[in-house]
Amino acid sequence: MRLVPSFLVRAGQLLVAGASLLLLSGCDFNFWRMDGHQSTMIAEGPVARSQLNLFYVTCWVTLVIFILVGGVLAYTMWRFRARTEADERAEPPPQSHGNPLVEIGLIGASVLALVIIAVPTLTAIWYTYDVPEAEKKNAYEVTATGYQWWFKFEYPAEQAAVDAAGTKTPLVTGNELVIPAGRPVRINVRTVDVIHSFWVPKLGGKIDMIPNRANFFWLQADKPGYFWGQCAEYCGDSHAVMRFRVIALDEKDFAAWKEKQLGLARSVAAPATAVAAAAPVAALRAFKVNEVGVSEAFDRNPLEAWRAKQAVEKEENPALIAQGRELFAAKTCNACHSVRGHGAMGVQGPDLTHFGARTTVGAGLIENNPEQLRRWIRDPESVKPGNKMAKAYRDNKITLSDAEQVALTAYLLSLK
Amino acid sequence: MDTTAKTAYLTKEDAVPVQPKLLAHPTAKTGLMSWLTTVDHKRIGFLYGVFALFFFLVGGVEALLIRAQLMYPNGTVLTAQMYNTMFTMHGTTMIFLAVMPLSAAFFNYIMPLQIGARDVAFPRLNAFSLWTFVAGAIVLNIGWVGPIFGVDGHNAPDAGWYGYSPLTSKQFTPGHSVDYWVMGLQLLGVASIAASLNFIVTIINMRAPGMTMMRLPVFTWMTLVTAFLIVLSFPAITIALVELMMDRNFGTVFFEVSGGGMPILWQHLFWVFGHPEVYILILPAMGIISEILPTFSRKPLFGYPIVVFSGACIGFLGFAVWSHHMFTTGMGTVATAAFALATMAIAVPTGVKIFNWIGTMWGGRLMMRTPMMFALGFVWMFMIGGFSGVMHSAAPADTQQNDSYFVIAHFHYVLIGGSIFALLAGIHYWFPLMFGRKVSEFWGKLSFWIIFVGFNVTFFPMHFLGLNGMPRRTFTYDPNLGWNTANYIASIGAFVLGLGIAVYFAVMIYTYYKGEKVGRDPWDGRTLEWSIPNPPPEYNFRVIPTVHARDAFWYEKNNREQIAAERAVAEKAEADHGGIHMPFSSIWPFVASCGLLIVGIGSTAFEAKWDVPGIHWKLGLSLLGGLVTLVGIYFWSLEGNEGYHLHLDKDGKPVKGHEQDHGHGKH
Repeated sequence: MRLVPSFLVRAGQLLVAGASLLLLSGCDFNFWRMDGHQSTMIAEGPVARSQLNLFYVTCWVTLVIFILVGGVLAYTMWRFRARTEADERAEPPPQSHGNPLVEIGLIGASVLALVIIAVPTLTAIWYTYDVPEAEKKNAYEVTATGYQWWFKFEYPAEQAAVDAAGTKTPLVTGNELVIPAGRPVRINVRTVDVIHSFWVPKLGGKIDMIPNRANFFWLQADKPGYFWGQCAEYCGDSHAVMRFRVIALDEKDFAAWKEKQLGLARSVAAPATAVAAAAPVAALRAFKVNEVGVSEAFDRNPLEAWRAKQAVEKEENPALIAQGRELFAAKTCNACHSVRGHGAMGVQGPDLTHFGARTTVGAGLIENNPEQLRRWIRDPESVKPGNKMAKAYRDNKITLSDAEQVALTAYLLSLK
Repeated sequence: MDTTAKTAYLTKEDAVPVQPKLLAHPTAKTGLMSWLTTVDHKRIGFLYGVFALFFFLVGGVEALLIRAQLMYPNGTVLTAQMYNTMFTMHGTTMIFLAVMPLSAAFFNYIMPLQIGARDVAFPRLNAFSLWTFVAGAIVLNIGWVGPIFGVDGHNAPDAGWYGYSPLTSKQFTPGHSVDYWVMGLQLLGVASIAASLNFIVTIINMRAPGMTMMRLPVFTWMTLVTAFLIVLSFPAITIALVELMMDRNFGTVFFEVSGGGMPILWQHLFWVFGHPEVYILILPAMGIISEILPTFSRKPLFGYPIVVFSGACIGFLGFAVWSHHMFTTGMGTVATAAFALATMAIAVPTGVKIFNWIGTMWGGRLMMRTPMMFALGFVWMFMIGGFSGVMHSAAPADTQQNDSYFVIAHFHYVLIGGSIFALLAGIHYWFPLMFGRKVSEFWGKLSFWIIFVGFNVTFFPMHFLGLNGMPRRTFTYDPNLGWNTANYIASIGAFVLGLGIAVYFAVMIYTYYKGEKVGRDPWDGRTLEWSIPNPPPEYNFRVIPTVHARDAFWYEKNNREQIAAERAVAEKAEADHGGIHMPFSSIWPFVASCGLLIVGIGSTAFEAKWDVPGIHWKLGLSLLGGLVTLVGIYFWSLEGNEGYHLHLDKDGKPVKGHEQDHGHGKH
């Protein structure tokens, strides 16, 4: 019995088809390729590869079972369905209660299928747990610490200069972890507040940073590259924007980078004569909530972009930089941030000694260029809800005029 | 309420002791009072269903807001804090306030009918479970006054449905949101444990003569297993919640790092509860499917003992796999391997169920009615969810999938494609029994197809999102990560799914008032609930049936003469005992639950510091609520477990004059 006339059904079908065409036009249907920056389907190191290979094993085994069981189910539904109402009312089929042999056979088959998954699982558990014994000597060690909502990276083996007198401290950076490529890296993970999780999908699965728990894991990048990472354990308001990057460099580049990092912050000599008052600074444009802060140009060759960032900015204004350096102290930025050699020793926020050489601001969130950096220091709350810098602004009634924003931006970008 | 007890009943002529007015038994049969005082398992089951479906819609709206925010990259529908509230409340609501109580609705309504009982073992405890559940639901949701009415410091819970320490500590979540969450879950735990004990006692003790354990309908078996899971797993979370409450309010340091506390302890306690909870959500669904497939295949369940045994096996193993939620917490090699293998092992009994469902259909006559459509949808979707579950058991691969959208896809296939599909199937299946009306096949199937398509369009792309590295619980994402299209499609699917649910409910409400009337046993059922008139009379069975076979009603239909003869004897015996014994209604369970509600609100909504005025409210309301609960329990025990007797005419209507026969049988 039809409750709806067929022309209505056909009109409905047309409507749905048209609507879906409209809705789906302009969509990029390549999402099934899963080739994004954080794809787990592209392994760029042995740990991620071991995990991916295991995933493929589970995928194929379950797919085969699905096709077999699903095939039988589909056949059963088709073969034994009642085709007419008379069929439904016909004498019931034989009231059979089961077949122990079939049951035992199927249980045996399921166990066998699971063994196919279990063996590589066990192998991979031991392989991914720690750096293989043979390579332990070659392993490079770093410590990653989670903060609400950024990452601190510490290099316990590297001693960095604190002042001109030669005092040393282990090298500390923030949000961008630079590692040697082709070498196992053993990462100790810690946290100072809530649970975070360290995840660079192309290099390896995640490991939680749990208070009172000395977790570690290892990863290795096959070759130099620029990798996207993100906190993977819900950690409060701005969990979604707690991101980071990993940069793998070949031996020579890594040594050069390290050399530079170990030194004090770059100082730009202030001009000898006072400069005439600069032209009034225009206000920065307004940003939408959660507005994108990354550019496509950057994505095309991120490693090159990172290299470019190591060089001094093209149009430096020494007067502005000097003014910014003063503001950095005057606005008490130094209470939370360190700039080795510039007298700033704060430890609650990311170390900014070589901040200008980083590609991102706000924990891998927006690009480190004058506009986005100014967006961040003007109103951190709008970029990262609930963050401590915004709270410090409120608690200490810190405001930055347009000119001050520009000066601070210039100073921070000069810290190569 | 044992109707066969050999106690001498007082007859009507005996002097009835004068009851103090306070203890007079409520007599309302209609209206609000009748609902507040009811102890009838069917009315309580109906109320569970109504509340569960209400919260199912609330959780659904929360889900749609989440999908609206994620439809485009850098979405601005919700603030970060509001988004976090939404996913926390969506999870908590769907698990504790929608799926669990909807299962409880069926436990209440159907299980006593399936075992041939006239009610559950403790009817008033049953009412107490219901109203305590409502109290817990209110406390859990009371924080919405913050965002909706702009009350400072009060928010709905926003620390995740799993409330990982130390994010839930006073330091990191200073408002009251976590307090509401703690107390709300505590009350729901009280309700669940009380209800489960009731079901266990009912199933063990109140089966009709001949209803041996291995003749129990599978749904009743799964009720029993689920009840045991609840009784055994809720204490773990109760302890964890008490510790968290003490940390937040009284300065203890169970999870407080600065005092040497261990946040990882919370995870173990939570998942020792949390993993069995997954089976608490899915086993009732499996039970419903194991009823529907035989009925609509017109064949008995294939391999009944193995289906029952595998259900129990899943229940046992469910306690041995909790740490597979923690593969990224650095447990070390051996523990990880053990939990990975145990998790794989659980796939065997689960697979057995699927094989047996297919075996049930094999060689049958499949009636493709709406309940059957949902049931088949369940089998397909649950299979997909099961397979992605097996993928998660490979621990190293899981470290990539954990906390990504792949996991979201997995458990929505299990919980929507599994639990919800089965519950929606159950509503269609038992609707004619409950209300004597039947949903139109066209509209039923239409809603099925919209839900089925919407569900898959929403959740299938999430597998790709997860593998492409999108972490869950994130309020925003950048457009350069390859997640845009899949998120867009998922959001479109979510709105289609929402439309399907809306159609489903519209059809249900229409059918409730105007649907086609059907007679007894419209599906040619196999179990005892179909042997009674619809809607079922308050006393369920005119005569307690005697059971001769596993599919008891199917046997009755094929051996009418034998059954009729037995009935006549049994009816006379029962009449000689004084008729059908019914329990009195009572307001006291409701009063006791109201007290718990007052405690729940009083102890959470005010500050625990001595130097703020709120402490007086906190103490005062907590004490008042405790007092009200004590008063409720005191009178509950004073009024005693008495009942009255019904005498029926030949149409099954209670004979006038006997209805309120206040017999004082002590049972």
